[in-house]
Amino acid sequence: MSSSGRASAPAPGPIRSFDFPRVRREVLDNGLQLRCVGVPRLPVVTVSLVLDAGECNVDDSHAGLAVLTGDSLEGGTAVRSGVALAEALEGIGAGLSVGTGWDSTAIALSCMADRLDEAMELLAEVVLQPTFPTDEVERIRGQRLAAIKQGRMDPASIATYASRAATYSDGAPYGRPLGGTEESVSSLGSDSAAGFVEARYRPGGAGLVVVGDVDIDHVKSLAEGSFGNWSGDAPRVDGIGAEPRTTARRMVVVHRPDAVQSEIRIGHVGQPRSTPDYFPLLVLNVILGGAFTSRLNMNLREKHGFTYGVRSQFAFRRGPGPWTISTAVGTEVTADAVREALSEVETLVADGPTDEEVEAARDYIAGIFPLRLETTTQIASRIAELLIYDLPDDYHSDYRDRVRSVTRDQVAEAARRCIRPDETTVVIGGDAERVRSPLEALGWAPLEIESAP
Amino acid sequence: MLSIPAERFTLDNGLRVNLSHDPTTPVVAVNLWYGVGSRNERVGKTGFAHLFEHMMFQGSRHVPKGGHFDLIQRAGGSLNATTWFDRTNYFETVPSHHLELALWLESDRMGWMLPAMTQEKLDNQRDVVMNERRQRYDNQPYGDWDEWIQAMVFPETHPYHHTVIGSMEDIEAATLEDVADFFGIYYVPNNAVLTVCGDFTRDDAIKLIERHFMDIPRGADIPPIPGDTELSATIGSTVRECVEAEVPLPRVLMAFRIPPYSDPSFYAADVASAVLGTGRASRLYRSLVRERREAKDVTSMAFPLTSGAGMLILWATGFPGADPEALEAALSREVEALGTVRDEEIDRAVALTETAWVREIEQVGQRADLLSMFDQLFDDPGRINSEIERMRDVSPKDVAAFSEDFLGTNNRAVLTYVPADSGVVAGGSP
Repeated sequence: MSSSGRASAPAPGPIRSFDFPRVRREVLDNGLQLRCVGVPRLPVVTVSLVLDAGECNVDDSHAGLAVLTGDSLEGGTAVRSGVALAEALEGIGAGLSVGTGWDSTAIALSCMADRLDEAMELLAEVVLQPTFPTDEVERIRGQRLAAIKQGRMDPASIATYASRAATYSDGAPYGRPLGGTEESVSSLGSDSAAGFVEARYRPGGAGLVVVGDVDIDHVKSLAEGSFGNWSGDAPRVDGIGAEPRTTARRMVVVHRPDAVQSEIRIGHVGQPRSTPDYFPLLVLNVILGGAFTSRLNMNLREKHGFTYGVRSQFAFRRGPGPWTISTAVGTEVTADAVREALSEVETLVADGPTDEEVEAARDYIAGIFPLRLETTTQIASRIAELLIYDLPDDYHSDYRDRVRSVTRDQVAEAARRCIRPDETTVVIGGDAERVRSPLEALGWAPLEIESAP
Repeated sequence: MLSIPAERFTLDNGLRVNLSHDPTTPVVAVNLWYGVGSRNERVGKTGFAHLFEHMMFQGSRHVPKGGHFDLIQRAGGSLNATTWFDRTNYFETVPSHHLELALWLESDRMGWMLPAMTQEKLDNQRDVVMNERRQRYDNQPYGDWDEWIQAMVFPETHPYHHTVIGSMEDIEAATLEDVADFFGIYYVPNNAVLTVCGDFTRDDAIKLIERHFMDIPRGADIPPIPGDTELSATIGSTVRECVEAEVPLPRVLMAFRIPPYSDPSFYAADVASAVLGTGRASRLYRSLVRERREAKDVTSMAFPLTSGAGMLILWATGFPGADPEALEAALSREVEALGTVRDEEIDRAVALTETAWVREIEQVGQRADLLSMFDQLFDDPGRINSEIERMRDVSPKDVAAFSEDFLGTNNRAVLTYVPADSGVVAGGSP
């Protein structure tokens, strides 16, 4: 084809339908929710046990306990030592991964499908019979404390922690680092981990998700065999405290002498996962800073070259997680970048998006949906999301229709309701000597300067 | 043994094409490997291959700036590109009915990129890349480690002596003329592999590929890699550098020059690396982290490089106040113990690698990338199915021989980071 014959983008071919894979739903006698999906594409399986055991389940003085407990599971079980456990799991090609968040702990492994029986037994052993040997928990606590020290010298982490602390009032869990502080983690040990398991690692409130090249009936009998004797409930804790620290504008510089870049965080308290504005906010976020072509990225990166990239995010949790814009920019353009970012936010809230933007964002979110469901791990985490956030079983079959039905007015209203420029806190981790005057010249809020932790 | 299909053909202009059909999900991946990376950069032009990759998203004759991202995202697709020592790859995964869009976009920039280039776009992307360098290297604890290690493992005349990101001065000095030269030499169909993987109809795919790529003219033969890719098998001694920096914890990196990916003994290196550092039953984790508590974390990786040699890197991060010499001694202890490896250790390492491999190729995008890689590097995309068997064939004796030949004190680069103001004396510059 000659150059002239290729002047415009080709039209799409006939669309092929996509359905979320069929989920088999069972509840064991002890209350454990079982979700199983047969995906025969490749001989692999992912098993994920999702527990109602997150950092929101511990108070400030024990901050980091859910994380430490999850990390300490590798210390050993009543059946074998930590070393023997690692050898047993990895001998069948299964690495154990523990992901602890605010709302849940997910203990997961993937392996070749013909090793599922052994993998399921080992997973049950880890969750039902952990022993938390004192020396192992002390070792892992030492690693956690060293990691916290590392985070205090990482420019991105410094800015994120400062932003969270500035966003939420004292006592709100989301204002502290997920893994806790040096002080809180130092006070934790083997007994606290065992106590957390006793209270929160329970089948009532938990879900077992199995996705891969498996026979669904066989999975059910495996689950009954491995988890059937487990008992108890982890009652849902409601009403997570998430008061804002202030509803006034704030601008804080966390001073890092000689920093070559400034890490910028702009935000305030956002919305919970249960918000009725969820779908309009997904669309809004893609337009503001959730995609390469977003207003923020096209301005700060592609127009001005201030940064390698900028993102915005609503952290949807059981309680209202933060709404945040994050970027790292050259020190000399810090104030320019803050001005441009705030101006994009103000314009979007005042005028709303265009019809064209809403249509493009809807197409993107709906279109990308099957691309995010290629792997057993991706499917398993989508299903786990339903369990953690009490979403209906048919949620995924309606998902793309719900995205496509979002209107421009809904997005504009959600923007006005959920983003409040005059209640925003701007945190800059950078060289205060160099960024101070240009930031003050913005006249946006009085400048507060803190020293780095 | 896996059975990923791959049908190959070559267009008259030299473009190599792989088709790999999998209709299970209505998505399709388009992946292009260009045989150009940081190894092709000349003195004073470091970082250019990567800067050029950024320019490939600034539009082409029929696609406006930002249009590539716009159109693919609008179609519900994902896309990106990466630059590495030996290659630059570009990729899209799209719902399968948008296959032609991805092919059209890739072919437009392969054939007609230069008419869209302007000084303004270059200035903008130079700023973006300089900020990428600041964010990932300069404003990041330990962020400059590869600059040090590559300079220590590879001689100044070797193309792996410098990093992919390059130096600030060289990035700043890039011109539009450089863009045109680089494009003319390296972005030609005879220097590329195109893979389409996923849900498509064979005859349609062939028709579309021919429609969009056939008229792009073949380029001249690709010039040899600058500098000298021939080098001795080992470094020849233990070279050391100590860096005092704004880092929270001491860290020791130990790197070795090893055979290139094209050499069959690379698999012994890969297995040795996995026995040492993959998983919590690995030797480094078990010994340094779990049992002796010498390190907070450990890492091991074998780089599959192709031009003369590769490298294997280990590192250990100490707890606050740890003695870097003790960390180095701990790494040496485990390296020297590789003369004796049990069969079960190799089985474990291969089993973990196999699971990771199969999980990776669950995604058509990753599958396409590996097919392009095996075509580009080995002229054999079917190797995607036998790669794990090659690891499985490695015996304890092979690992012992590899470690005897390549992990001795005559072949080490040791880089130590100590926290500033910790009292340890440091010196040197990369």
